[in-house]
Amino acid sequence: MRTVFLWLSLTAPVVAEPVIPSFGDETATAGLATVYAGEWEYMVGGGVATFDCSGDGFPEVFLAGGAGPSALYLNRSARGGALAFEKTDAVALDAVLGAYPLDIDSDGVMDLVVLRQGENRLLRGLGDCRFEAANQLWGFDGGDAWSSAFAAIWEKGQSWPTLAIGNYIDRKEEAFPWGSCTDNWLHRPDGNRFAAPIALTPSFCALSMLFTDWNRSGRPSLRVSNDREYYQGGQEQLWRLEPGQAPALYGEPDGWKRLRIWGMGIASADVTLDGYPDYFLTSMADNKLQVLKDPASGVPDYADLAFKAGVTAYRPYTGGDQNPSTAWQAEFADVNNDGVQDLFVAKGNVAQMPDFAAKDPNNLLLGVGDGTFVEAGDRAGVASMATGRGAQVVDLNLDGKLDLVVQNRWSGPEVWRQTGELPGSWLQLRLQQDGANRDAIGAVLEIKRGDKVERREITSGGGHLSGSVGWLHVGLGAAEAADLRVIWPDGSEGDWMTLPARSFQILRPGAPARAWQPG
Amino acid sequence: MTFRRRQVLALTLAAPFGLVLKPALAAGRADVSREVLLTWHKLILQLVRHTATYVPPVAARAFAYVGISAHEALASGNPALRSLAGQVTDLAPPPARGPGAYDEPCVLHAALQAAVGGLFSNTGPTGQRAMQAMGRKMGALASAGIDSAAVDRSVAHGQAVARHILAWADADGGAVIENMGFPRDYTPGTRAQDWVPTSLIRLQQAPLLPDWGSTRTFVIPSVAALDAPPHPEYDEAPGSVFRGFAEEVYDTGRGLTDEQKLIARFWSDDPMLSPTPAGHWISIVMQIADRDALPVETIAATLAKLGIAQADAFISCWSTKFRYNLLRPVTYIKRVIDPDWEPLLITPPFPEYTSGHSTQSGAASTVLTAALGDGFAFEDATNVAEGLPVRSFPSFAAAAEEAAVSRLYGGIHFRFGNEAGLTQGRAVGAYAAALQTEA
Repeated sequence: MRTVFLWLSLTAPVVAEPVIPSFGDETATAGLATVYAGEWEYMVGGGVATFDCSGDGFPEVFLAGGAGPSALYLNRSARGGALAFEKTDAVALDAVLGAYPLDIDSDGVMDLVVLRQGENRLLRGLGDCRFEAANQLWGFDGGDAWSSAFAAIWEKGQSWPTLAIGNYIDRKEEAFPWGSCTDNWLHRPDGNRFAAPIALTPSFCALSMLFTDWNRSGRPSLRVSNDREYYQGGQEQLWRLEPGQAPALYGEPDGWKRLRIWGMGIASADVTLDGYPDYFLTSMADNKLQVLKDPASGVPDYADLAFKAGVTAYRPYTGGDQNPSTAWQAEFADVNNDGVQDLFVAKGNVAQMPDFAAKDPNNLLLGVGDGTFVEAGDRAGVASMATGRGAQVVDLNLDGKLDLVVQNRWSGPEVWRQTGELPGSWLQLRLQQDGANRDAIGAVLEIKRGDKVERREITSGGGHLSGSVGWLHVGLGAAEAADLRVIWPDGSEGDWMTLPARSFQILRPGAPARAWQPG
Repeated sequence: MTFRRRQVLALTLAAPFGLVLKPALAAGRADVSREVLLTWHKLILQLVRHTATYVPPVAARAFAYVGISAHEALASGNPALRSLAGQVTDLAPPPARGPGAYDEPCVLHAALQAAVGGLFSNTGPTGQRAMQAMGRKMGALASAGIDSAAVDRSVAHGQAVARHILAWADADGGAVIENMGFPRDYTPGTRAQDWVPTSLIRLQQAPLLPDWGSTRTFVIPSVAALDAPPHPEYDEAPGSVFRGFAEEVYDTGRGLTDEQKLIARFWSDDPMLSPTPAGHWISIVMQIADRDALPVETIAATLAKLGIAQADAFISCWSTKFRYNLLRPVTYIKRVIDPDWEPLLITPPFPEYTSGHSTQSGAASTVLTAALGDGFAFEDATNVAEGLPVRSFPSFAAAAEEAAVSRLYGGIHFRFGNEAGLTQGRAVGAYAAALQTEA
C-alpha cells in the first residue's frame, strides 16, 4: 500500500503542464473508409489492428466491418508525410468484430487472428500482405460464438502459442439474454498445432483479455475484463496458468477482490514505475486504474487510483453533454515524447442509450509526471464525438510521433496524424528472436527513467478487440539516448545498452542493437 | 429463475365479465393471465437491473406503477375487484370498457407491455430487444385461439389503461432521472456528523437522489407524518452512545461469521447488479405465487400493494435521510476508530439514517403479512443465479428483520438506522395494506 500512496504523493520539484501534442485530422484524405456496421450483434467490437505485412516497416491497418466486410489497408505514407492507405481485399470477411496480429507459426510472416460472430478465423500470412485460411491447417476450432476478446502467449517450453478467446452473450437469447454468457476458450498447443479448446469456466462475457506477468513470476496470468451487464454471479477475473496444468482462478483466499464493472478494455503499463504492470480498465461512467497495493506480498490486491490520478474519465469534458461516458479501447503511450506515459481512451455510446453521453469525446490524458494526468483531447484535436470503439495509437508515418486511428460504430474510422512539433525525443524498437515466438511476446523491456526503471511488457491482447505488433515507441523527453535492456520470454536478461534518440533499433537476444532506417 | 407450474387452485374471485371463451375454459385463461403477469415481471426484474437509472427508489416506483397497471387492467373487467382510483393519490378512474367481448390475458398483456415499455423506455438496446421479444411471445400466448376482434378490442383497452397510469405517473416528480440520479452540483454539509462521499467513484461524489423525498406519495399522507425520530446525538467521545453504535459496526465487521457474511450478501441487492431491494421482495412474491398457484387477481393486487408500499417507503426514507444527513459508519470509523477499516459491502452513496433497505423491507413485510398471513413461511431463491443459496424464513417479518440486520453485518448502517427504518417502513406498509382491491 505504501508504494501506491508514495506514487501519488510524489511532488516533483517542478511539474510543468505537459506538452500538448497537435493532431491533424486526415480522415478525409488518408483512404481509410471501412464502416463498422450492424445492429445489436455488433454493439461491441469495431477493432483496429496494425502490423507490417509488406516488409517496409510501416504499419498496415486492418479495420473490422461488423455486418459489412472487413478490410486491410496498405500503408502508403511517406516518412513524416501525410497519411495514405490503399485498400486491399486481402481480408474481406463479414461478421468481424476485431483482429489481432500474431506470428502464430513463427515463420517471420505476420498472421492474423480474426474474431467474429460465428466461426473465428486464423489467417496465415503468405507475405506481401496475402493470407490464407489456416483453421484446418493448424487444427484450430473456430467455434460458433460471439467472440469479443483475445490474448496470446507462448507458455514455457512451447513452440506454438496459447490463444485465449473471450466470448460474449448467447446471441440466440432474445427475451432473456442476461446471464447467457457463453464459454471463453483456451486454445493450447499440441505440438505445432492447436489442441481442442478448453472452456474457461466460469465465463462472464469477456470484452478484453490480457496475458500479463502481474507478479513478475515469469509465468504470465490471464486477466479477463467482463461486462457486468450480462453476467450473473460474475466479476473481473485473473486466471493462473501453469504449464501443463488446468487454468485456475485466483479467488478470495488468494487475496483477489471482487470487482464488478462494465469491463470493456484493458490497457497496461508501468505508470507508477514500481516495476509492476498497472491496469486501466474501461467501463461506463467511472473507469479504473488498478495498482498493486503491495507488490512484495505477491497478493493480487489492487487499489483503484483512477480518481486520485485524474483518469476516471467518467463523463465528457467538452461538447456540453453531461451524461456519463462509455469507454472502450484504452492504450498507454507517450504521445508527447516527454518520457511520461499518457493514456488514450476511445469513447462512444453503445447505441442510443439516453442515460449515457451521445456526444462522448475521446480522451487524451497526458501524464504530468507526478502520478496524475490532465485531459488534452480537445486541445490536441482528437476529441471526436463519433461513436468510438477500437483504436490504435501508433506511428503511422514513422516520424517518431504517435498518430491515432479510431474505428467508430456506423460512421467509419477516423485517423489523425500528429503534426505539431514536440520538444522531446524518441526511440522505436522491435524485438525479434529466432525460433518460436519471433516477436518476443511475453518479453519485458526495461527503460531507465532517472533513478527508476520502467518495465514494459510485450503483450498480445487487451484493448477492445484491437491489437498491434510493430515498433515499440519510447518517449525520451530531453534525453538524447535511452538506457535499456530486454528480459526475453525465456527469462534470459539482455545487457543494458545505450541507444541514441530519434532512431529505430532492432533488438535480438545476445546481439547488439541493429539500427534500421525507413525507406 | 425457474418457476414450477402447478395446478391452478380454484379462483377465489368471481369470474370476469365478457369472457370470449366458454366457462369451462376460464380456468385455462386464468392460467394464461398468470403466465403473462409473472413472465412480464420476470423481465422487469432484469430491466431494473440493466437500466442505468433504476436505483432502488426509482425501481420501487416502477414496480408500483406496473403493479397498479396490472390490477387496474383486471379490475376494469371484474366487478369483484375494486379500482385503486380514489384510494391512491391523484389517480382518476381508468378508462371503462366499451361494448363487446374482451379477453383478460390480452387485456393484461397489452397493459403490461405498454406500461413496461413506457417506464423502461430508456433501457439499452438489449432491454429494448428483450421487451420486443417478450411482447411477441406473450402476445402470441395471450391471443392464441381468441377471436381477432376480441383481441384487438382487448389490446386497445389494455393499452388505454396503461396510458392512463403512465400519464398519472409522469406527474409524480420522479419520472425524469438524470446523471444516473446524482446531482451535478452539490454543496456538502459542514457539521462533523454530515454525510460525505464514501467512494472513489467520481460520479458518486454527490449523494443519490437528494430530492426524492419530495416525490408524490401513493398512500401515506405526508413524509413528515412518518418521519423517524432523531438518531442518537453525534459524538466522537469514548463511551458515548453514538460511538458505541459505531463500535458495534466495527466489532461486528471484524468478527463476522460465515453466516453473517452470507446474510449481508443475500440482502445486498446492489443497484445494477441485482433487481434492487424492491425487486428482491417482488421476486419473493413471484416465487410464492408460483409455489401456491395463487390466482392472478391475488398476485396482481399483492404486487400493486407491495409496489406502492415500497415506493412510499423509499420516499419517506429519503426524506428522512436528507433531513438528518448523517454520515455512514465507514466515515466515522475511519475518522475515529480505525483508518484502515473497510466494510464487507460497498457503502451506498447517500446518507445513513434511516436505512432504506430496512424501511422498504418493513413496509413490504407489513403488506405481505396482511395479504398472505402472519407466520407465512417461504423460501427465497432470488439470488441462486448469483451463486447464493436458497434461504428459508418463518414469516415476512422475520425476513424483514434479517434484511435490516444484514446492513449492520455489511458495515453500511448503524443498528439504530436499521431499527428506525423497520419502524418507519411498517408504518408506511400499514397504509398500503389498507388499500381495498376487492369490491
